[in-house]
Amino acid sequence: MTTLNRKQDSAGKTNRPGTETKLAGIPRTGQLVMLVAPAALWLIFLLILPLITLVMLSFQKSAFGPDSTVFSLNSYIEFFRNSAYQRLMLRSLWISLLVSFFTILLSYPLAYYMAFHGGQKQSLMLNLLIIPAWTSFLLRVLAWRVILGSSGLLNTFLLWIGLINQPITGLFYSQTAVVITLIYIWIPFAALPIYVALQRIEPGLLEAASDLGSRPWQAFLKVTFPLSIPGILAGFLFVFIPTVGEYVTPAMVGGPNGLMIGNIIWDQFSRGLDWPMGATLSLAILVAVLIPLVLAARVAQKSGALGGGR
Amino acid sequence: MKIYRFHAVILLTALLATLLAGCSAGAGPQGIDKPEKPLVILEWTGYEINEYPQFFVPFTDKYGNNLKDYVSVSVFGDDAEAFSKIQTGFNADIVHPCSSWWGLYVEAGLLQPIDTSRLSNWDDIPDVFRNQGEYNGKQYFVPWDWYYEALLVRQDLVKELPSSWADLWDPQYAGHVSIWDNGEVSYAATALALGISLKNPTPADDKLIKQKLIELKPNLLTYWLDYTQAIELSASGDAWIIANAWQDTFASLLDEGYDVAYVEPKEGYLAGVCGYAITTNNTQLDLTYEFLNAAIDVQSMANFTNEYWYGAANTKSIDLVDADIVKTLGFTDLDYALAHTTWYPPLTAERRDQLSDLWNEVKAAP
Repeated sequence: MTTLNRKQDSAGKTNRPGTETKLAGIPRTGQLVMLVAPAALWLIFLLILPLITLVMLSFQKSAFGPDSTVFSLNSYIEFFRNSAYQRLMLRSLWISLLVSFFTILLSYPLAYYMAFHGGQKQSLMLNLLIIPAWTSFLLRVLAWRVILGSSGLLNTFLLWIGLINQPITGLFYSQTAVVITLIYIWIPFAALPIYVALQRIEPGLLEAASDLGSRPWQAFLKVTFPLSIPGILAGFLFVFIPTVGEYVTPAMVGGPNGLMIGNIIWDQFSRGLDWPMGATLSLAILVAVLIPLVLAARVAQKSGALGGGR
Repeated sequence: MKIYRFHAVILLTALLATLLAGCSAGAGPQGIDKPEKPLVILEWTGYEINEYPQFFVPFTDKYGNNLKDYVSVSVFGDDAEAFSKIQTGFNADIVHPCSSWWGLYVEAGLLQPIDTSRLSNWDDIPDVFRNQGEYNGKQYFVPWDWYYEALLVRQDLVKELPSSWADLWDPQYAGHVSIWDNGEVSYAATALALGISLKNPTPADDKLIKQKLIELKPNLLTYWLDYTQAIELSASGDAWIIANAWQDTFASLLDEGYDVAYVEPKEGYLAGVCGYAITTNNTQLDLTYEFLNAAIDVQSMANFTNEYWYGAANTKSIDLVDADIVKTLGFTDLDYALAHTTWYPPLTAERRDQLSDLWNEVKAAP
């Protein structure tokens, strides 16, 4: 379809539609610099520089006073020596994995419905999906108390139908509560990229599949689903990465066993006065998340799952 | 053209004149001239001078209309948080930590000594409070409020009232106990439950207490983070026992009509005294002493006890306190009341780090 819109210029080389008319006269490199500069500056000041500070901090003996200029590996040694940190890290990764999996599972049908059966109401449905994100994050977390609390909706309902005779407590303050709350929070973030990926699928492909005798479920498995994988991957990353470092939700609903590594990092920075340890833990998370992501991206690119047909 | 400019100049002068006149007419009350910048007070949540002017009556009466020109308040919910904030460069003029943390402030060179001759009610503060704020022969703290930590129990929900710190581990309260997310106080409560002295803890004690705190987890609903959450947990009925709750939590739940009891464990209350100190970079000493005098004023302190049921360092204020409160909390005989308490021992920097690590390990345990 895109090839139809492509214009041949006088020299016969093809350009992406749009670029050649508006930005005519500016050399390609100039265009590139102008387009990339704002994002690059943003990244340098708000990501690269803070990251360098974090790395430097992690090698200091202390964040303040005379000890702040002393080089030390103490925080790293402590990280490997103390199993508590590793356990929390694994717990955080596990919770993130669970959350990402279930979020995708729940948002896929939603996105599918919007993309293929939304019809005229697609934009309305999109808005409905996004509206909850306008409310404060904290409020949405706490709202779950109304449902999961010991005198909440779930307990009241179960009591009413007589399934239990005493309210179940500890539903709200648990790892499960953290997972449930986060899934709820992230659904729009996962649904949107999947929706976009599904919408890009040309209806013609599905018609072709059915013309060639495939049943709807076969068409879904062989055509729709593979083509939506880039969206799923994007959604997974949107959910997984912020969840690993999450600390508000576990602090609010996690109870004694639902705390995550983010809570300890927060503690080290705010109350423990141990900024080097906090920095080390932050970097450890970064590495733990980055390595599998880079590997996954490699594999995805090789197998063409990220689309683009390069 | 020229005429227009002339008009404009006149108009402008007139405007400026009225503005200036307005300023001088609106200038603050007499006394100390309006300071260049307000005094910055690092304060516990729930004590803010702008929210609770009755705790600092003479000061707020005098500056009430322009209070924000004279003081600005920044709040904290935990001593560790306050200390970290000030260590990391927050410029406060007056701080309000509690006794176990006092030494750390002095040690870090954050404070200047207090000239007690400038405090009009100094003699009404008993030695038992004053002595804790004295370092190297100099007074660094003006004791202000003192508190108990005990078991706050929803007596309508439990079958049996707890009577000891050790009852936190009782399975009959499983899933309904909440302790403070604070290593220092949870350590102290456990030590009392096990009969371990808080003075000179050994590594073996630390190990035992850590283990015991991990064993408490199945009984826990959640850790409470601050006073507001403690109230909320008890009010919702989710938490039957709030450990290390202060009197104000009890008072505010009673006010709202909840059937709560404030149980003194048989090992005794945990207790601490908190007080104001002047930081080294505070240059507005006149205004500072005016504030301190207002804080330890008899009426201010009585208003404070009436509101939160905390003990007042100025014991003269007891005559102005509601008789029921005095009786409930045993304030009538201070010596008797204090004999029933274990004071928090002073922390050192090393101990602070140890407790912080111990607590992190407890929280990270499966």
